[in-house]
Amino acid sequence: MWKSSAQTAYALLLPALVALAIFRLYPIAATIWGSLCTESFEKAGASVFAGVSNYADLFTDPVFWGSIWVTIKLNLVINPLQIALALGLALMANQGFPGIGFYRLLFFVPIGVSVPIASILWRTMFDPNAGLINSLLSILKIPSQPFLISQEQALWCIVAIATWKGISFWMIFLWAGLQDIPPQVLEAAEIDGANRFQRFLFVTLPLLRRPLLFVLVTDTATNFLLFVPMFLLTGGGPAGSTNVLMFEAYKSGFVYGEMGRALAIVVVLLLLVVAVVALQFRLLRRPEGER
Amino acid sequence: MKRLFVHAGYLLVCILFILPLWWALASSLRPLEDIFKYVSPFSWKAFVPDKPTFTAYVTIFAEKGFGTAVLNSIFVAGATVLLGLIVNGLAGYVFAVLRFPGRNILFFVIVLTFLVPFEAIAIPLYTVVRSVGWLDTYQGLIGPGVANGIVIFLFRQFFAQIPRELAESARLDGASWLRILFRIYLPLSKPVVISAALLIFLFQWESFLWPLIATRSENLKVIQVALAGFEERYVTLWNELFAAAIIAALIPLIILLPLQRFYVQGVTAAATKD
Repeated sequence: MWKSSAQTAYALLLPALVALAIFRLYPIAATIWGSLCTESFEKAGASVFAGVSNYADLFTDPVFWGSIWVTIKLNLVINPLQIALALGLALMANQGFPGIGFYRLLFFVPIGVSVPIASILWRTMFDPNAGLINSLLSILKIPSQPFLISQEQALWCIVAIATWKGISFWMIFLWAGLQDIPPQVLEAAEIDGANRFQRFLFVTLPLLRRPLLFVLVTDTATNFLLFVPMFLLTGGGPAGSTNVLMFEAYKSGFVYGEMGRALAIVVVLLLLVVAVVALQFRLLRRPEGER
Repeated sequence: MKRLFVHAGYLLVCILFILPLWWALASSLRPLEDIFKYVSPFSWKAFVPDKPTFTAYVTIFAEKGFGTAVLNSIFVAGATVLLGLIVNGLAGYVFAVLRFPGRNILFFVIVLTFLVPFEAIAIPLYTVVRSVGWLDTYQGLIGPGVANGIVIFLFRQFFAQIPRELAESARLDGASWLRILFRIYLPLSKPVVISAALLIFLFQWESFLWPLIATRSENLKVIQVALAGFEERYVTLWNELFAAAIIAALIPLIILLPLQRFYVQGVTAAATKD
């Protein structure tokens, strides 16, 4: 039918490559180019090359540095938190006892709940006056908390919402990894006298390195771009305390019409993600000499 | 006794997962004036509607056009799944089985694209879609979601586990690569097809920012955008908002939960193999 494997390969790859080129690669290139342009004064709607001026403006803007800090703070907490909880959940799902199927089913429920819905549901629960959480706290004689309208608490409420929504999804990959561990390995460790905790630390965890790396990288890329809860619940506030880079980019582009600035922020954000992911690969890459 | 503690621990986790949805479900079955009645001071009745009514569900479908949004989302997600399985499945197969110049660099670029989510490139994507005249159309919602780096990766990892000798001996017998895909690989691929389909479905079902900026017409509104709109425009109609949220969460769950086992099998290779 076809002459060579190479021709077949390119023919079968064509749809994916064309679609990715149009809807991913070109927009990425356009983002980089657009971040070097600014609105033209002569012609409305046109833009002219402006060198690094958008970046120069950004780097002297305290709002931008505030956003960088919020983004980093959020990610330093949310990624380790989600992965630890997802791992715990995966270990729970991986147990076998009568009735486990029912629990596993419920562990999957947040996967069906989108980020916008999770945000809206949790907002009503976090409501300072009529919210469920405050009324449950009042039973424990804890005073009402402001939650999303507080500069100190808003970001951590968003962490809670995104974590509630996210860990089921990340659990799947870690659970798959747990099921891939040959039971003989764990049995051998048990015969050698390793207790539950030692088996987890010295057998399970090293064998989970691949799935953990996979989840770490994809989760990090997801959370650096997290912005729907800020969009729907806080608008980046109060006082910029939830104003992550992605939301600042959205505001600059779609609210204030400063496209150059918005795209420059996106480029900075993507460079940040690539740098963090590269670091994660270096740290978790396969140790020398193994397999 | 020990078993009792185990079950208590599992139940606690499940309650945390279910609580917001349960509260939404209970509230959606209440008349509007009763929504916050049992919250403060708190009563167990907050979780059990005393006089359940389906008024909110009837209203959102009969008067607020929520049915259109549900159908739009099902259509957009369904079409993306069909196209996405073909496009990404072929690509994953090629990367796993065929040998050709440029294979590694192309695969690397594709994997990199999944570090750059939709939201990050929404602004230039808008320009691209506008220039092909797809703004405010179904194509504009479906097209950008079809090719997906993570789904290609999923297929590639799964296919790479299948012994290549099978394909090679079929080649010697004169079978084309496409025939090998359909005769040898596809029959073994149920888990990965299910995982890929669910990933693409959820991705489109949950998309919010892109439909928000790429469509304007009322009759193209997808479910997440309609939901967020409920909140802005009908700000006090909590029971309707909750009813819409329950429907939006229930549909993917009905599809996902029975397929749970295959879903986990399908992602195993992606998560565990180099």
